[in-house]
Amino acid sequence: MNRYARKVRTSLASKVIFSTVLLSLGVVWLTGSALYSQLSDGVKQVNLETSLAEARSSFFNAQYQFLLVNGAPDSIISKTVQDVIISSTAVSLNQDRKSIFLSRFEEFNRVKSAGVAPDYSTATDELLVSSFPAELRKRVRSSDLVEYQYTTVKYDNRSDANVLIAGRRIAIPESGNYEMYLVYSLTNQNTTLSLIKSSLLLTGFALLFLIALITWLVVRQVVRPVREAARIAQQFTQGEFSQRMKVESSDEIATLGTAFNEMALSLESQITRLENLSRVQQRFVSDVSHELRTPLTTLRMAAEVIYGAKAGFDPTISRSSELLVAQLDRFERLLEDLLEVSRFDAEVAVLEPVEFDLVRLIERCIEDVRANAQDHPISIDIDHETEYVMIKADIRRVERIMRNLLSNALDHADEKPILVSVVATETEVGIGVRDYGSGMDQSSLSRVFDRFWRADPSRARVRGGTGLGLSIALEDARLHNGELDAWGSPGHGAHFVLTLPIVAGNQISGRPIKPQPKDYPQPI
Amino acid sequence: MTLVMVVDDDQDLAEMLGIVLTGAGIDVDLVSRGDEVLEVFRNNPPDLVLLDVMLPGLDGIEVCKLIRAESMVPIVMLSAKGDTHDVVRGLEAGADDYMVKPFRHPSELIARIRTRLRRTNADVSGQLTIGDLTIDVTAHEVIRAGKKIALTRLEFDLLVALAKEPGRVFTRDALLGEVWGYRHSTDTRLVNVHVQRLRSKVEHDPEHPQIVMTVRGVGYKAGVLGGS
Repeated sequence: MNRYARKVRTSLASKVIFSTVLLSLGVVWLTGSALYSQLSDGVKQVNLETSLAEARSSFFNAQYQFLLVNGAPDSIISKTVQDVIISSTAVSLNQDRKSIFLSRFEEFNRVKSAGVAPDYSTATDELLVSSFPAELRKRVRSSDLVEYQYTTVKYDNRSDANVLIAGRRIAIPESGNYEMYLVYSLTNQNTTLSLIKSSLLLTGFALLFLIALITWLVVRQVVRPVREAARIAQQFTQGEFSQRMKVESSDEIATLGTAFNEMALSLESQITRLENLSRVQQRFVSDVSHELRTPLTTLRMAAEVIYGAKAGFDPTISRSSELLVAQLDRFERLLEDLLEVSRFDAEVAVLEPVEFDLVRLIERCIEDVRANAQDHPISIDIDHETEYVMIKADIRRVERIMRNLLSNALDHADEKPILVSVVATETEVGIGVRDYGSGMDQSSLSRVFDRFWRADPSRARVRGGTGLGLSIALEDARLHNGELDAWGSPGHGAHFVLTLPIVAGNQISGRPIKPQPKDYPQPI
Repeated sequence: MTLVMVVDDDQDLAEMLGIVLTGAGIDVDLVSRGDEVLEVFRNNPPDLVLLDVMLPGLDGIEVCKLIRAESMVPIVMLSAKGDTHDVVRGLEAGADDYMVKPFRHPSELIARIRTRLRRTNADVSGQLTIGDLTIDVTAHEVIRAGKKIALTRLEFDLLVALAKEPGRVFTRDALLGEVWGYRHSTDTRLVNVHVQRLRSKVEHDPEHPQIVMTVRGVGYKAGVLGGS
């Protein structure tokens, strides 16, 4: 049921057909009922008039017959009564059954002959007299006119029947005053009426079906191009830019198609242009980086040879050789980062997951960073809840993220301690790197992962970072389907939280470590 | 004196490599075209080949395959391309080591060349066993059921390193130090690729290794005969 309800909600055609049929049902119902009630009233009226006219003629005939035999012997009168009964119950073509009921309610004093007046009371068709409405009988006895009533009567040998009863007072000579009733069965009338009813219903339903069919045909004409447009638009989102709508006429739908196709064409050419542009650019960056590597190798070796011999040089040349080596280091790191960025941009960065102990890796990174930061007395505490955390990830990238986060923290820690925390759940692991340095405001936070962005341009770059570290760290994290969040507050330091799925590529469902640190707002 | 053939089309880099290697007491033979390598190689067989990947005449990968076809001489690849598939391609072609330009320090180059030149496992001699294999270290042979299995020198070294300490679990870093002479590096791709190549030669079913066993999350160890 729900499925159908949803289909009606989601399909334009079904929606239109559904509401059209619903409204038509109302209209057909109203007109049908009105028609039926008019028709049935007419049928009943005609039937009543025919029956009453016939009843009147029967009553008149009976009165006339009885008047003729006034004074005749009982045997003649009895014969006349039989005649009257037979002639009155004779059915015409369109009638089903007609019963008669005679009942004496007043006995005459016999004038012409002696003896007890015979009672001619009778009922045909085993009519149960008790089922006659008393009120009608009262009216007939006290009136000189033909009285009638619709009612239900009982028979001794068959089921109850809806009938029209017409009655009149009749005097039978030498016997008494009688109520004479003619009972007209309404079976035929009811059959006619139910025939009319079922014809009307059938017509109504046929009409509804036809309306639905027509609506469907009409709606389909409109909906089909819309559906096609939707399908093509969907393919567009999946990168399939060659699809076009068919334009076969010159109506509004065709206008939609033409406009859609123009949009598609323009989109396709724009995207192709941008794709080419960025492909050329990425290719260029990658080629430059590769081409730079060979001369850089020569440079490095030459610098190292000079550096190795610096003991015999003049102090300025000796210092120059140190600077040369240091700057070559920096240049090389920049080149590596640029190459990595171009890999991310070209979407050719590949994840190479292996299983390893994250805690051991972090400890090793901390040791390395600490060894390189001897000039800064910075303590790094590792606070992990378990001895080891086995994860499946690209160890090279995770190590690079950790090194970037740690050296970034070192750059901004203002010689205050740095806290590294690790919290693992069933599905993901969080690594927090917290420093208590100068921190960041909101606008810095929103740009902290931008390439070559510096929180404070006047600030010296102590570690000699490339300016690409955090941006690469974010890309590395996302390549694992992980996330890298930053939190910072001016004067309260910063907190970078790396969240990785336990198995690279799985979705993360939460953050084991919240970016907002637990020790905020109390600075230590 | 040790002779290293340096194949590089960049004249300056080749000269610099020459200076550095000569300074370390190694003779250098410079070749600048890929299609000239084999001729020079045959006329004057070096102790090691330092091979650039991008070369005029003949690609470094092809040169590597040609040399491997006729000699077990150690080959160290030198390339500006450091993506995993590049490294794997070089190693698959038969190189023993793959160095990505620019390397951190000339001494790193010297150290890696010396490791490759050193008669490895000089401290081990005689016979070792690993799984159902017998290793004749002196004769440099690996035998299974009387049949010799041909291994490259590096694969042999890897197998010996595992076999000589049967109980020990080697991390990838440890194997790098043991077999390649790296002091510190996270480039464990070398280990992974060579373990796969070694397995394809010595395992009955490389999908279910019984000789070079993986210790999940740590590294590798030698398989025990009959053990699982």
